[in-house]
Amino acid sequence: MPELTLVVADPAGLHARPAARFVQAASRFECQIVIRHGGREADAKSLIALLGLAIRPSSEIVLAAEGPDSEAALAALATELAPYLGSPTLTP
Amino acid sequence: MVGLVLISHSDTLATGLRDMVVQVAGTDVAVGIAGGTDDGRLGTSAPRISAALRSALAGSPEGVIVLLDLGSAALSLELALEDLDPADRDRVRVSEGPLVEGAVLAAVQASVGASLAEVEAAAAAAATLAKIPKA
Repeated sequence: MPELTLVVADPAGLHARPAARFVQAASRFECQIVIRHGGREADAKSLIALLGLAIRPSSEIVLAAEGPDSEAALAALATELAPYLGSPTLTP
Repeated sequence: MVGLVLISHSDTLATGLRDMVVQVAGTDVAVGIAGGTDDGRLGTSAPRISAALRSALAGSPEGVIVLLDLGSAALSLELALEDLDPADRDRVRVSEGPLVEGAVLAAVQASVGASLAEVEAAAAAAATLAKIPKA
């Protein structure tokens, strides 16, 4: 399962607008995508789940995808969300 | 794509909420509003709600989710719904979710092409969203 580790760059953390962009970008892909943060995991295609993670600025999150287009999904998310999430580190 | 209709006693509140919803969810989702009375007072108006519903239904074949504030909004909405053709009424869901959070969550869900039932579920789930989430 491909994974990406990111540090949230946005000074407000993963608040409503970037979280909504996240959900919209993730929803374009077939694969299952989860975000792990602080020992919890949320469906990246669910805004309420993402907001519930309470991701604060400078915290580390892991994106993991499982499915046929998982590599493409992670690459697209990293590119599109770079303004909010900073530069990703790919974990093979 | 599913559309939204936001009903409030205050036109200012409805307009501001629409701005907020569009900024979070994007401009693809149609967001109609019915705020205040015809003569610009605080209150609700069945004809204004009716007009917003018709316009939203015309633009959103998959259906429309309605979020409302309180009190007479429910009564005015009921009257407006009675005014619709049964086939149109079947494409309207009235959310039990909170107006602000429900509208935002519903719009984002709608923006990814979700069904009316999925959008309704997202709006209802907004009631469980913590105001100050535990990190």
